[in-house]
This record gives sequence, structure tokens and C-alpha cells, in this order.
Amino acid sequence: MTVSRHVNSPIVGQVYVWRIRLGVWRRNAVNFVDELRKHPLALMGGIVILVYVLAAILAPYITAYDPARGNLRLRLDPPAWHPEGDWAYALGTDAQGRDLLTRIVYGARVSLTVGLLSVGISATVGTILGAITGYFRGRLDDLVSRFADLLLAFPYLIFAIGVMAFLGSGFTNLILALTFKGWVEFFRLVRGETLSEKTQEYVEAARVTGLRHAAIIAREILPNIIQSVFVLSTLRMGHMIIMEASLSFLGLGIPPHIPAWGSMVAAGRDYLLVAWWVSTFPGLAILFLVLSINVFGEGLRDILDPRLKIE
Amino acid sequence: MNSIQQEILLELRNLSTVYPTKRGLVRAVDGVGFSVKRGQILGIVGESGCGKSTVLLSILRLIRRPGYIDQGQIIFRGQDLRGLSSNAMRNIRGREISMIFQDPLSTLNPAFQIGQQIHESLRLHQVIDGSRSLGPLKMGQRAREKERVLEVMTEVGIPSPVDRYTAYPHQFSGGMQQRALIAIALVCEPALLLADEPTTALDVTIQAQILDLMRRINQNRGTAIILVTHDLGLAAEFCDTIAVMYAGRIVEQGPVDDVVANPQHPYTQGLLACRPRISERGQRVQPIPGNVPDLAELPPGCPFAPRCSYQRGACDEGPIPLVSTSLGNISRCLLHVDYRRQKDWKWTDRVALEA
Amino acid sequence: MRAIKILERVIATIPIMFGVAIMVFLFMRLTPGDPVDIMMGQGGAVSAGEMERLRHEFHLDQPLSIQLWLFLKDAFRGDLGYSYVQKRPVIDLIVERLPATIELALGALIFGLIIAMPVGIISAVRQNSLLDRFSMAGAFLGISMPAFWLGIILILVFSVRLHWLPVQGRIDHSAGLQEVTGLYVLDSLLTGNREAVASSLKHLALPAVTLGAGVAAVVARVLRSSMLETLRSDYVTLARAKGASEWMVVLKHALRNALIPTVTVVGLQIGVLLGGNMIVETVFGWPGLGRLVVTAIFNRDFPLVQGTVMVYAFTFVMANLIVDVLYTYLNPKITL
Repeated sequence: MTVSRHVNSPIVGQVYVWRIRLGVWRRNAVNFVDELRKHPLALMGGIVILVYVLAAILAPYITAYDPARGNLRLRLDPPAWHPEGDWAYALGTDAQGRDLLTRIVYGARVSLTVGLLSVGISATVGTILGAITGYFRGRLDDLVSRFADLLLAFPYLIFAIGVMAFLGSGFTNLILALTFKGWVEFFRLVRGETLSEKTQEYVEAARVTGLRHAAIIAREILPNIIQSVFVLSTLRMGHMIIMEASLSFLGLGIPPHIPAWGSMVAAGRDYLLVAWWVSTFPGLAILFLVLSINVFGEGLRDILDPRLKIE
Repeated sequence: MNSIQQEILLELRNLSTVYPTKRGLVRAVDGVGFSVKRGQILGIVGESGCGKSTVLLSILRLIRRPGYIDQGQIIFRGQDLRGLSSNAMRNIRGREISMIFQDPLSTLNPAFQIGQQIHESLRLHQVIDGSRSLGPLKMGQRAREKERVLEVMTEVGIPSPVDRYTAYPHQFSGGMQQRALIAIALVCEPALLLADEPTTALDVTIQAQILDLMRRINQNRGTAIILVTHDLGLAAEFCDTIAVMYAGRIVEQGPVDDVVANPQHPYTQGLLACRPRISERGQRVQPIPGNVPDLAELPPGCPFAPRCSYQRGACDEGPIPLVSTSLGNISRCLLHVDYRRQKDWKWTDRVALEA
Repeated sequence: MRAIKILERVIATIPIMFGVAIMVFLFMRLTPGDPVDIMMGQGGAVSAGEMERLRHEFHLDQPLSIQLWLFLKDAFRGDLGYSYVQKRPVIDLIVERLPATIELALGALIFGLIIAMPVGIISAVRQNSLLDRFSMAGAFLGISMPAFWLGIILILVFSVRLHWLPVQGRIDHSAGLQEVTGLYVLDSLLTGNREAVASSLKHLALPAVTLGAGVAAVVARVLRSSMLETLRSDYVTLARAKGASEWMVVLKHALRNALIPTVTVVGLQIGVLLGGNMIVETVFGWPGLGRLVVTAIFNRDFPLVQGTVMVYAFTFVMANLIVDVLYTYLNPKITL
């Protein structure tokens, strides 16, 4: 990236710039894979995430059961290693006789989609707003920054629950509730970085060569920030997934007919005395996924952006 | 030089400090030996990374893990500091031997008032006798301790010390911070002051003031000083004796006039030649070619050989001994061993020469 | 000097408070559906005449700006509206439930800090030791674990299996506690009721651990990493060179400075405590604000939801204010 900063002559042409950029990216990608090998935990986290994603996509091919329809004669069947267990229902069944493993596999779809969408939208909105306000400052900056401060006055979960209370449960509303506040962190990160990048000499140089503001933001500043955004996205993903599960646990997230881990844990609460597995396994599924994402995210931070501090 | 200056205060014998790294054991300090007499100022000169600061930290046994002192003796007032218990060592630190550091801002604790930080040394060592104090509150002791702190602050040239007592480090200028640091070091009236590049982070005018202050302390109290610096000119002006270090070893050592006027080791000559001087305008500054060697991969022979214009085959063959030169300096170079400059000089001859 | 700065900081929270109130108000008005219906919640169907009367009573016949003004005026006086579902003023319901929530949040915070402080310090001092590795792995688990699941696992182990601790409630009524502050542990200590102390602590244990585990994990991690930084600093070397003992170097010089970033994180964690208490109160049937708001949502009792969310936000703002003030005492460089 250091190379492309200095090649701004319109005569040489964008082709040249992009060729260098592609080369840099390819080299970065190779370096990244090399670096990842030095972080075996992060690599393992990445592999587990991949397994989850594949399971979510291939859910109907992995399991023969219908996640929504149960066999009432098999209610609260224990897991396979239990004396009364059955390998046909490896993790047991729930109160409606539905296979737990099947529902967990399908539940991955909800968690991963919500996680990806809410982080993706938050990151996009936050990055665009942050770059614009950080670059131009002025009244728009004041306005958006004040609004961000205001949103920060609400605890995240309270805010999301409040929004869900007024909007009602549902997939779209859930994403909306999570992103409504989720963009703020990305906004603050990108705005701060843009402010400091703007004072760098290469931006000054780009201005001198007559590049337009929009082009400077998009081609000069953003490429230098995007890695931090990427790291923050990964680290926020686990958080979003836990938020979704918490809302679903309270019955305010995903509607009950769609299998989601949070509501599955909630459903098992009534049977804690007789069937511990109903609540335990969906929770373990959340724990493993979020753990893997966090491990992967921390590795990513160490590799891409060691000075970024997020808690 | 009067008679009390002849008493040896500190003597290092064959001191080595090592750091285990992934690429092997790094000998940051390798067989260093020197002595400091009471009231004397010794300068240790060398480029950054030559181990000169590590020597100071080794004397106080403050080497951070995984580093450790591998061998040698640190004899202070006749007893080997390496043999002391950690409690006894704490009584030496700050009380008998104090240290001042290169970067005063990062060395002062940002969370405490300047006065508190000076006071802490006093309290740690119970320097002010508390036995005559009234009652269990030790009010008298506290008051006298504070008096002593203010006295030291005045001595090091901090103006209006009563007001500055409660100030925080970030409210001080760089020069004042260094004065405060010196006050911390001096408050218990140590016999030896270790100064690790005390003026490097300061403006030139402030540098002169700080050096002046240190010289005054040396003269008024007879405090011995070991000054570590990369600036041979500064050392020449300030010190009684000079030790030049390269790659963890002392390469030349002697009284300041001899070392500066008649440098024997090629490295010392190089250091002198690359110093710009106003009086000799027009004369080119001659840099030493090449870079500081990697301590993890030192050659078996002279580590300076790759950069040395006198280099010859024998230099790489094995360790070079420190030898006395005709002038009374000691220097670690085959030039002095091989004063006959025989072309066919062989390493094996060394033994014969030393005998 | 510092008093003025603190006052300035207090005044600076006023616009934030207003903003919070305005935002909550707008959310209420922007909710699709007839406002009267929404405010009545499950209060029941009303006749057309009744509707008109209520419309007037809620000032819905006035322009939005007037409505906002009246809302703010009422809120300032402590009138957060009326719950038609519970047939009681919102503020009364909140005040009644607040002590339980405060007790839980404080219990969780104290538990979190008691675990996090020694773990963070020792892990940093003994970096890469077995203890360090174990506690940091544990902390990683802690930040990745959903609170509601941890609560259920704790119930499964300590209540269902071991029968050590109760599953629900705040105290056994047989203990005969006399209420003073509404914080049961404190009350039973104040009244010297030993049975009540034991009972209230037993009831508090699992919820506080569940809520505090995340806090402990985050704070331990931050404290460890900032301790690692301060332990490497020059002023720690100076402290050693002065002759300070090792524990003094760690606990005075290094910890004091490591607390500065840690306090900021603790402030952020208060938001997590407040949000998480809804979950934990639901899991353990803890009769606090969290239960109140969750029930209100299911009853579509919007005035109550609105009031509770506002109280949560105010509490969070106030908590951060306290943290900021604490911060100025820790960090002499900061002048708010």
C-alpha cells in the first residue's frame, strides 16, 4: 500500500496503480496465510468457524430430520451415550420430540446470518459516516457525533430490547435493533483514524496532485483503515451473536417457529430437572462458535493491527 | 588528587550479563572489568546497543528476566554485591548506589507528586532517624523528612520547591524533570551515582546545566559517578577516566587525557574522527563504515574487525586480549600485541607475547 | 479546581439526559399503531368516547412539540406515566423494583472485581506461568459465554445436582427479614439477622456470579495487559533502583498506573451489567427492573417499557459520571 500512495499521476493511469495494488494484495494474502500458521489457535478458530458455516449451508444434507416437526413418542430422549439414549438422536430430543442436533445445525443459520448481516451493515454505515465526518468535520460531524454519544448513553442490550419492544420480534427488526447502535463503534474507530490519516503527508500530496475529496477518501484513506475495520468486525461478530441469542432467549428475537440457539436454551429451562441436555447443547453451540470467532479475531488483530485495542 | 580518592569504591571483575533469545545466548556484557575510586568520574562510551546501559543495571542487579548475570564479581566497598540477599541488595539500591536515567518523563511515575517520589527514597531507607520523634505518629520524623526533600530540591536547582513539591511530572519541563530525577537519586546521599545518558533527551543548553549540576555534586560531596554516554566529547569534558565499549566488551580504557589525546584502539580513533568540531571547519567528518554487529552472531575474533581499517587475518582467529599500551591505556587490539608488525604473525604467538 | 471540573462534567450530562428522554419519547410515538391502543397495552378495548377522552388525557390532540414538552416536564418531576396494565404509576413500580436490581448489580460488580483484581495482577507478574495461562483461558471462555447459558449451567450444577443453592427468589421468607434499604444482604446485616444474612447471600450467589463472570473476564484481561505494560515501564525500574520491595513496586507503582485504563473498562462494563441483569433476572426469577421490563414488553405495557428504559439509561450515564470522576483522581494528567 505504501507504493500506491505515491503514484497519483493521472497520466500513468489507474491501470498501473491497480496493478501495484493487486500485487500488494496478493502478497498480503500470502503473508497473511503464513502469519496465520504462526498463530495455531487462530487457525483452529478459523477452521471451527468454517465447519459451522458449512454445517449451516449444508444443513438439509447433514441431517435427515425436520427441525420443526417432532415425534411426540420420543419426547425428551437423552443423548446417545446415556443408557437410555439412541444414536439416531445423538444429542437427544426436546420436549416436542425434535432432534436436538438437527435443530442446533439449523440454528447455526440464524446465528451466522444475524451475526454477518448486523456486523456487515454496522461496519458499512459506520465506516462511511466515520470517513466523511472525519474528513470534512463541520456541522455534519457535530450532528453525527452527538447522536453517537447519545446512543452510547444506552446499555447495548437495553437499547436493543427497547427497540424490539416497540418494533416487535422478527428477523428484520432484530437486525435493525442490533445495527441501530452497532454502527457507533465503527464510526468512532474510522472517524478517529481518518482524522489522524488526514494529517499524513501522503494525503497532502494527493491533494496537491488535484485528486477530488471523494477520491482521496476512497482510494487513499480508506485502504489504510480497512484492516482495522476488518479486525473490529470480527471481534464484534461474537458479541452480536450473543446479543441475538440473548434476545431470542427472552423471546424477543427470532420468532419461535424458527430454530435459534437462544430460544432453544430458553425452551429447555422448564425441563432442567428431567432433561439437562435440552438447554445445555444449544448453549455449547453458541459458546464454541463465539469462542472460535474471538480467538480468530484476536489472532487477526495480532497479525493485522496490533495496536488496536478493543474490549 | 588527594588521598581519599585513592580508595576503590566499586570494582567490576570479568562481569558478563547474558540474555537468552530464540537465536541463542546474547552476551550483552562480556567480561567487563573496571574500578571506580571514591569521588572519581568514570565515563563509559559506546554506540547504542553496545551494552553500556546493561553494565549499570547489572551493578544494581536490576537485569530483567530472562536476562541474568552470568559470571564475574561486583565488588562494592569490599563486598561482592552478587552474593547479597535481595533484602540486603535493596538496602544498597538508592541508599549507597543511585541511578538516573535517560528519559526523565517516562522514568518519573506519572501518578505521583514529585515531592512524594523524592520522599519515597527517604522513607524506604529510613535515612532520617525516627527515634527522636514524638509519639507514634512520627510527626517530627515526617516534618524533618519533608525538610530534607525540600533541601535536595533546592540543591538540584528546582525553584520554589514548596510549590513544586505537589506538582506532577507532566507539569515539569524536561530539564526540571531531570533535576527531580537527580533529586530522587541524591536524597539519601549515595556514594556512587550511575548516570545512564542523563542529558541525551534534553536541549543543549539544559544539557550543560545538568552536567554542571552533576559536577558540583561530585565536587561538593565526593560522590563518585559512572556516566554512560554515546558522546565521547561529552565524556572527555566531564570524566576522569574513560572506558570505551564495543559489542559488550571494553575495547579501550584509561585516563581521559590519554584516551582522547592518544586513542590506541581503532574504534576509539574512529569515534573521535566522526565527531564534528567547530574549530576545524572544512575538515571532513569521517564516519566509521559498516554497522554495529549483531550480538547474537559475533565472530570468534575481534567484533570490530569487519569495520576496521587495520584489519588482518589474525583478528578473526580468536578472542583478543586487553593489553597495556605504551601510554598506560589498556586496549583490546592486535595492533599493540603485534607492535613489531610482522607480516607473518600467527595467532599462536599470542601466548608467547603475553607471557 | 477539581470541584469545578467535576461540576462542569455533571452539567455536561444534562444534555445527554435530555437527549435520552427525547429519543425514548420519539420511539414511543413512532411505533406503528394507534397511540391510545399502544398506551393501553393489554389494558383492554375501549369505547369510542373513552378513546376520545384518553386521547385528550394523553395530549395526543396537541402538536408533537407540545407533547414532547409535556413529557419532559412530567419526567423532570419524576412522573414517568401510568401503567394501564398494572394500574399503577410507572415510577412507583420502578422504585419498588430498583433495590433488587441494585443489589444484584453491586453483588456482580463486587464478585467480578474480587476475582479480576488478583487474577489480573498475578497473571501479569507471573506472565506465561501455568496460572497465567489458565486464568487467561478462563477469561477467554468468560467473554465468549452467553450469560443466560452460564446461569442455567450453574443452576444445573449447584441447585439441581448438588442442592447447595436455591434456584429462585431473593430470600427465604421464613428468615423474617425487616426491610430497611431494600438491599436484602445489607438489611439483614443492619438488623443483625444471621439467618437472613445466610439466606440472602445464598440467593444472591448464583445470580451475582452469572452476571459478574463476564465483568471478571474482561477486567482481568485489561488489568493484566495494562499491568504488563506498566511493569515494563521506566518508572518501575526507577522504583526498583530506589530500593523498593517487589510487592511495593507491583502494588504501588505498577498497579496505580494500570488502574487508569482499567477504570475506563469497568465503566463500560456497567452497561453490560445493566443489560445483562435483564437476562439474569429472567433466569433466576429475581424480582428487579429486568423482570419488570421483560414482563412489560410481553404485556405490551409501553409506558412501563419507556420509563424503565429511561431509568436504565440514566443509571448508566450516572455510573459513567462516577467513573469519570474517579478517573480524575487516578490520572493527574486528565482534567476532565
